Amino acid sequence: MTTSPPNDPSSSSSSSSSPFSFPPEYSFPPFFTRQTNLTTHHAQLTKWSSLVLAYCRHYRIFKLSLSGNPTTTTNADAPVGGGGGEGGAEPDTTELFHNRRINRRLSLADIREVIDFLRRDGRAEYVSGAAPSGGGAEGGGGDLVWIYWRTPEEWASLVESWVDATGQRGSVLTVYELVEGEGTRGSEFHGLNQELLLKALNVLVKRGKAQIFGQEDSLGVKFF
Amino acid sequence: MFLKQIDLTGALRPTFVSDDEDLLFVQDNVGLYEGKYKLPNHQNGQIYLTSHRICYVDKAEPRKHSVALDLKDVERFEFYGGFLKSSAKVTLIPKPTKRASLQPRSPVPAGSPSRSSTSSPAQHQDGSLRVSQAENTPISSATWVCTICSFSNPVPSNFDPTTANVHTPLPPCLACGIKPSLTHVLKAAISSATSRQPNGPVLQTPLPVRPRPGAELSAGPEPARDSSPRSSDPDASFQCPRCTFLNHPSLLSCEICGAPLISRDLPAELLPQTRTHTESPGPVLHALSPVAPGAENPECVKISFRGGGEKIFYERLKGAMTQRKWLLQGAPPIPKASRPGESPVNGAAAGTAMSASTTNPASQTRPKIGGIAGLEHHSQAMRKNNELVIGSAFEDLEALMASAKEVVALADSFARQVKGASNASENALLADSVSQLGLVATKDIVGSSSGAGGSDSLYLSELSRTLAEFLTDDRRGVLRKAGGIMSLVDLWAVFNRARGGVELVSPADFKKAAALWEKLGLPVRLRTFKSGVKVVQSRDRTDETTIKALLAWLRDLHEFPPDREVPWDWRRFGRGVTARDVAERFGWSIGVAEEELEMAEEKGVLCREEGIEGLKFWENFIDTGEGNGFKDLSREHAEKVVKRLTDAGFL
Repeated sequence: MTTSPPNDPSSSSSSSSSPFSFPPEYSFPPFFTRQTNLTTHHAQLTKWSSLVLAYCRHYRIFKLSLSGNPTTTTNADAPVGGGGGEGGAEPDTTELFHNRRINRRLSLADIREVIDFLRRDGRAEYVSGAAPSGGGAEGGGGDLVWIYWRTPEEWASLVESWVDATGQRGSVLTVYELVEGEGTRGSEFHGLNQELLLKALNVLVKRGKAQIFGQEDSLGVKFF
Repeated sequence: MFLKQIDLTGALRPTFVSDDEDLLFVQDNVGLYEGKYKLPNHQNGQIYLTSHRICYVDKAEPRKHSVALDLKDVERFEFYGGFLKSSAKVTLIPKPTKRASLQPRSPVPAGSPSRSSTSSPAQHQDGSLRVSQAENTPISSATWVCTICSFSNPVPSNFDPTTANVHTPLPPCLACGIKPSLTHVLKAAISSATSRQPNGPVLQTPLPVRPRPGAELSAGPEPARDSSPRSSDPDASFQCPRCTFLNHPSLLSCEICGAPLISRDLPAELLPQTRTHTESPGPVLHALSPVAPGAENPECVKISFRGGGEKIFYERLKGAMTQRKWLLQGAPPIPKASRPGESPVNGAAAGTAMSASTTNPASQTRPKIGGIAGLEHHSQAMRKNNELVIGSAFEDLEALMASAKEVVALADSFARQVKGASNASENALLADSVSQLGLVATKDIVGSSSGAGGSDSLYLSELSRTLAEFLTDDRRGVLRKAGGIMSLVDLWAVFNRARGGVELVSPADFKKAAALWEKLGLPVRLRTFKSGVKVVQSRDRTDETTIKALLAWLRDLHEFPPDREVPWDWRRFGRGVTARDVAERFGWSIGVAEEELEMAEEKGVLCREEGIEGLKFWENFIDTGEGNGFKDLSREHAEKVVKRLTDAGFL
């Protein structure tokens, strides 16, 4: 009960239908060039990270493809329900790093730098399974990246507070129920990427607040 | 005063008195003495020997304590080699006549126009008179006739036939620059002396003097002297020696003809009794000597060379005193010798007029021819004269030296004539620069210094000052034309080109000299950019002012729409500028513009954009200082920590 999720669902669900409004620097041409001045560069990274986070939060993107291939991010959860892509078509994430209006694009190396900056902050993580090529480089070569606009810990506490609020402590829920069930509709984690939810649940398991059992596609969770 | 306060340039070097003044020698670490005593505040400085003056520039307080003395006021100079702890000195003994006679009158500077405009003989006579009395060899008006050009030159004031030998320096002919043989001058001096022999004894009797308070001297008119007879009556008027007009006694120059009215002989005759006890060279001379030689003269100035260099100084001083360039002021001598039928004074006037190509007073003596014929006649005469000048100038090197000024003037006028045809703007600029680069420091005019390699440092500091002067000179505006900043390499090229291909400065010396600006407190500074590029700019231009100028311009771009449609919001962001734009806008070279932009970027004022159009610089809208997103993240991080602590049961 320490976090402040109650106001989030309404804001995110209401704004997801409208297109994302980019910050002013998005249309500032030098924003797409790596700055050499260290302080300016840091400010640039900071602004890019917050832009990426805000963008992903807006469109509820959990996995971001750095090359801008939209299918990889959506095939996991889009067909299952309308949670993520309420507006129908999945947003073209290439626009995040490519401002077509001013014809400027952030290079892949620079994108990786932004992602690294996010990773240092615990706000991003390379999807390990999706990028076998980058195994040598400490997961740095992958195309798919978890963008934690909420970290697994935060998701975990969200789930926990929902369980508390609905009085389901001690009961057993399937993961599918948590993500797609009628009961969670309206809550923040409705439509959450299943893998990400598992990460969050594992956090709870570690804390001793939950227990996961079952097989591959019929996972169950028991909350204590 | 023998020593006069002088003006300094921005680089703390003495300013010129006249255009043809040449720097002959520089030596640092010298002190000044007056008489036997050290002059306070003048004990550590640099001495500049020019063809006209000796300037002392104090090291500690150059603006306050810098003095100079004119060589033309110098009667004699002596050399003292130094002994044990006493360093070598050069003693300069002033001409006392002028000083003493002028004392009761208003102090007119020695080089006042009225006097310098009267031709050299008058001035010369002026100085030599005292010598004639001091050494009992009245050679005052002695002249020797040049065997080459038959110009009658004055025998130098310091020429003493009794002691002259082969090594006595003899001045070259003023007209043609050929040195006379010793016997020739000796003969002239002796003959003039013998012609005056009968007057010898009279010299000991006081001469007629200008009426002067307290001077109760009376004497009959002196027929042998060229100075006019004067009455002893204090109220009597003063007769001009030239035109015999009776002037009021308080006048300095004749009302009618402008000749100087100076009683030259006054002090020489007044002072002898008080100054008999001197270390004079010989008893015979001593008895007759009215004025003691230097040692006892309270105003004699000694230059003490604590850092060495005295020998060269002495040699150069000797040369300068022999050459007596200051006599040449204004009147090129050659044409007057080659033009028959004109008095020397007229000739001199004509000479000046010729070089200035204006109407000359000499034309009054010619038959009057009017109209086009007159003009033609005039130009023909001019051409003939020019021919003559050039012909004689190149006859031999000495003559060329003597008439250098004239030849330069001619060359200038020729250049002006051809200017119309060619694009002579750059040539003119260069020629200009060359003529303005008068006081240049070269390695051989700089004296040796005490320490090992010390002379090098003096040379460098002189070069550094010269450079600063070159840069800040308003006439040239080197720095101004380059937008207030130029790269060291460019400056090196310009400077060496301005030197006209002689006395070129090596890059290494140049760099070292530039590095000295800061230390010497000169108005320019050397800046090194991050990339290692060295530039020169004036001291008041700092990074801040540059950035301000850049930003002001970029902000202007928010107001004015760009040349073509741009997709971004130019009212908000303005537009990016390339180094070329900046170079064009501020008049910098592209290299400098790049460096300045990168400097501004380094300071975080600008940011860059690399695109297909090249590298562009923008006002920095990336780092606007708020850093929102990052703060949010860190706050969240802090919250996370707190939460973890809560979860773990610590809170």
